[in-house]
Amino acid sequence: MGDEQDKLLPVANVGRIMKRILPPTAKISKEAKETIQECASEFISFVTGEASDKCQKENRKTVNGDDITWALGSLGFDDYSQAIVRYLHKYREFERERGLAAAASSSAALLASNVINSPLEFRPLNEKGQTSYTKPS
Amino acid sequence: MRQAGMYSGILSGGGISGRTGPHLLPLARIKKIMKKSSVDVKMISGEAPLVFSKACELFIEELTKRSWNMTIHGKRRTLHKEDVASAVATTDVFDFLIDLVHPNGNDVNEDDHVPEN
Repeated sequence: MGDEQDKLLPVANVGRIMKRILPPTAKISKEAKETIQECASEFISFVTGEASDKCQKENRKTVNGDDITWALGSLGFDDYSQAIVRYLHKYREFERERGLAAAASSSAALLASNVINSPLEFRPLNEKGQTSYTKPS
Repeated sequence: MRQAGMYSGILSGGGISGRTGPHLLPLARIKKIMKKSSVDVKMISGEAPLVFSKACELFIEELTKRSWNMTIHGKRRTLHKEDVASAVATTDVFDFLIDLVHPNGNDVNEDDHVPEN
């Protein structure tokens, strides 16, 4: 059973997307949910196949995001393109902010430890947020 | 039923949620399905599953909306498998799904795989 489920997107996630687009009073049969779950996998295979063919013709080994976007257009799904471009921008922004937040919190922790151990000395942080400060034994 | 997305702004924001991260669909699973699609697919770059996470969301939404139109047409409030089958049969870009939703070839011309438009 685990092997079969690997070929499908989680039915809970599929169901959530479906519910979101339907009126609040709409009901969805279990069979319909599973059918759309299967269709989604078929969609991925279908588009990937087209993208993969293009890569082979161009002697490239790696299928990238642009190949998928191209394949979507080639197979009649070009109305998805705009939303995908916006989504990629938002995702990159999300990742960038997450990275900045992580860097900020780690350098803040470093700063705090410097103040406690050496209140009169100032050790500047290098660009990685590290200091050359060594603790006195 | 509480309408999902009303408070997190997902409905207008296009799926970015600080709670679960920006994707609604698991990237690792998408990558697995891509790999299984063909022996020719050997290497997949990082952004390809990401593009699919949005494309699949849009695909599921479109297929669901069209299926629901069939449900409404039949004066029902529960979306059934046959509504999905009807939506597939009446949408050209969904031709690749015909065999998946109509394994017996019911209601569809089996010798007509070319879109009419």
